[in-house]
Amino acid sequence: MVEDDIPVSNLIVTTLKTHEYKYLSAKNGSEALLMASSHNPDVVFLDLGLPDMDGVDVIKEIRGWSNMPIIVISARSDDEDKIEALDAGADDYLTKPFSVEELLARLRVTIRRLSLMNQELMPDNSEYKNGELKIDFAAGCAYLKDTELKLTPIEYKLLCLLAKNTGKVLTHTYITQNIWGRSWENDIASLRVFMVTLRKKLEPAEGSQQYIQTHVGIGYRMLKVD
Amino acid sequence: MESNIAPAERILVCLSSSPSNKKVIEAAANMAAAFGAAFTALYVKPDDYDMLPLEDRERLKSNIAFAEEKGASVTTISGNDAALQIAEYARISAATKIVIGRSGIGRKRIFRKASLTDKLNIHAPNAQICVIPDSERELKDQKERLRISGQLMPTLKDCIISILILAASTGLGFLFTHFGFSEANIITIYILGVLSISVTTVSPFLGAFGSLFSVLLFNYFFIDPKHSFHTYEPEYAVTFFIMLIASLITGSLANRLKLNARISARETFRTKVLFDTNRLLQDAVNSEEVLRIAAKQVSSLLEMDTDIYTKQQSGPIKKMISYKAFMDDAQKETIPKDEEDADKDDELRIADWVFEKRFPAGSGTKKYSKVSAQYHPIAINDHCYGVISVHTEKKSLDHFSSSVFTSILGECAMALESLRNAEEKEKAAIIARNEQLRSNLLRSISHDIRTPLTSISGNASNLLSHYEQLDKQTLLQIFSDIYDDSEWLIDLVENLLFISRIENGQMELHLSLDVISDVLEESLKHIDKRASEHNISVVESDELLLAKMDSKLITQVMINLINNAIKNTPRGSNIQIISEKVGGVIMVSVKDDGPGIDDDKKEHVFDMFYTGDNKVADGRRGLGLGLALCKSIVEAHGGRISLKDNKPSGCCFSFTLPSEEIIINE
Repeated sequence: MVEDDIPVSNLIVTTLKTHEYKYLSAKNGSEALLMASSHNPDVVFLDLGLPDMDGVDVIKEIRGWSNMPIIVISARSDDEDKIEALDAGADDYLTKPFSVEELLARLRVTIRRLSLMNQELMPDNSEYKNGELKIDFAAGCAYLKDTELKLTPIEYKLLCLLAKNTGKVLTHTYITQNIWGRSWENDIASLRVFMVTLRKKLEPAEGSQQYIQTHVGIGYRMLKVD
Repeated sequence: MESNIAPAERILVCLSSSPSNKKVIEAAANMAAAFGAAFTALYVKPDDYDMLPLEDRERLKSNIAFAEEKGASVTTISGNDAALQIAEYARISAATKIVIGRSGIGRKRIFRKASLTDKLNIHAPNAQICVIPDSERELKDQKERLRISGQLMPTLKDCIISILILAASTGLGFLFTHFGFSEANIITIYILGVLSISVTTVSPFLGAFGSLFSVLLFNYFFIDPKHSFHTYEPEYAVTFFIMLIASLITGSLANRLKLNARISARETFRTKVLFDTNRLLQDAVNSEEVLRIAAKQVSSLLEMDTDIYTKQQSGPIKKMISYKAFMDDAQKETIPKDEEDADKDDELRIADWVFEKRFPAGSGTKKYSKVSAQYHPIAINDHCYGVISVHTEKKSLDHFSSSVFTSILGECAMALESLRNAEEKEKAAIIARNEQLRSNLLRSISHDIRTPLTSISGNASNLLSHYEQLDKQTLLQIFSDIYDDSEWLIDLVENLLFISRIENGQMELHLSLDVISDVLEESLKHIDKRASEHNISVVESDELLLAKMDSKLITQVMINLINNAIKNTPRGSNIQIISEKVGGVIMVSVKDDGPGIDDDKKEHVFDMFYTGDNKVADGRRGLGLGLALCKSIVEAHGGRISLKDNKPSGCCFSFTLPSEEIIINE
């Protein structure tokens, strides 16, 4: 955990302790990089308002040699710094003021992603399983509760992109770049429409399991469901 | 219009062709130096300027040069009524002191016309008039000379007319003789003839000669012995003499009448043009319109093409409007495009010079005299609003038109001045209003933030010192209070942050195309935790609802509306959030079945700082910002927010957003 504000740092530490997570804490960017490289943590909580380095640079550094999940903590409610961090390689974000529940929730999501990533290292990765959702990459179709989902080509591409990055918040521009190869305003608008229809297909009824999480102004994320 | 008294002194000296004028100019210059004042010299050019003897014109020129040497900015305006022109000019240029020479006073004469000073007093009662004494009596002689010289020489046309009239009178005389009328009647014909000559010609000489010739003709043709110049009756000498006097009097009267008629006609025309201009200016709402009116009026008055140039702040001078005379209304006005030909640069350069120096230029003046147009500044009180150029095409303006032209410019300058003053007042009022709002806000904030902070601090302090002694229930209560207070503060800060985005009354929007249901989902994550005590349901439309919005702001609007419903309705109430497309707009409604709001309070609900008399569930009144902020945000998006009653009871808050269609890219 990288946080220079002491009370906030204490808060996170207390939360982690009570939930029996092991933790390391750093107070600035250079300390963070040192600890990350020497101890190889599973998750990094990174505050964006660090005194010595820009948080985005820390992310880029770590991404240079590791895929470890990074959750950024941003003080402002502006979306730009979150988008910047996510595009630089962060996986998720927390906005101050955040509640303890939020912190733990995001931690859980990230951990689930970890397990998925580990799964992918296994030989059989032509299939994706997430709760009742199944994607057969080889055949090019997706199933919900063993019924085939009728998806348009774009919807399928979207689903695959999100699935491959389960647990990670993908920004609008990232998604449009990957699907269309460009990010014009019209594309981002279209994206929104596609996502709504896709979500309706994945979550047909009122109380269904939520697979895709919308982050207004930022992007979307596929949740690992168990 | 109230008259503006400029703080600085401005000396206006009146130039004339009198030799004593130099003394006056000198005195005025000394005054200007002593006061550190602006120094202007004015010459009122009368209609008969060209008839002035060369000597006088030379003296005038040297007086003008002298004035310039002394540092005056010299202006010439045309007009016959010097006092009126001087007074008007003094008013427009905000002159504080008018300096004239004493010879304008004149001595007591039988037919004494009101002196210049008296007339000035009438037309400009607010100005201080300084009279510089002089002992020369040149002016009187000048006037005398004026009477005799110049325009009083008969013209060829007039001579022919006179001859014709005499011939006609003689002819009639013969006719009368034929009919047997007495000579007395024939004399009356000649008298009539002489009177006609006096009336129709300008020079009194012709009237006098007419009398002489009439007598001679009468004598020659009609008096015995006929066809000779002898008379038997000496009384015909008397007749001749009387005829002469009659003709002179008639002639002079007729001339005076004609002059008055002409002056009167001119004054009427001038008044009409100025009245029309004034009327149009009254209706003008901004400076562009005023300048347009100026161009139009000048163009119709002078029957020449005009252009208007303006300069914004510190930008370059630009041509604003071109007005062509002699075209029908549809083609008249053109607004020039930016890509005009290169030789327009000259025009711009001259216009720029005129704008800066506030001095006319162009043909007929000393500066840039080779061009085919005249450029005049539209200025008053040291502030220039624009430049008008009249395409005179080397024709010179007659003095009367010139003076009306100057008056029109003066009127327009005044109208522009009063518009500018109104604008400044309005700006000042807005700033004052904003300041008031800001100070209100700060006052409320400091009070409403201090209260929960005091409670949190106090509670924490208690915990620090007495944790051991407190029982579990009390502890839980304290923790809960701390949590509630901080949540309340978080909500307040969010609203405040949004309000801070209102800069100069403008809300900065970061617009993006978003799905309503997404935004709604986001809002539901941030509402008051007591939401669990109520039944909140969402009714979505079948259509996909997209709108261009600032998602952060609209999220806040929804949060505020839902929180409002939660706070003002009892536990267990039903809150419904409906989003639908209604006639081209997207409407989001928050309905509750609580107690509702009385009709008389409904109007004020969206006012800033309005909290109503309702006691909120947790006893805290709230800042009253939430709904006011919603209104600002919704209206900034071009939508509308409203409050209606829900049936059977409760409130229905709705807001609309313009809908958007998009093209889906596959």
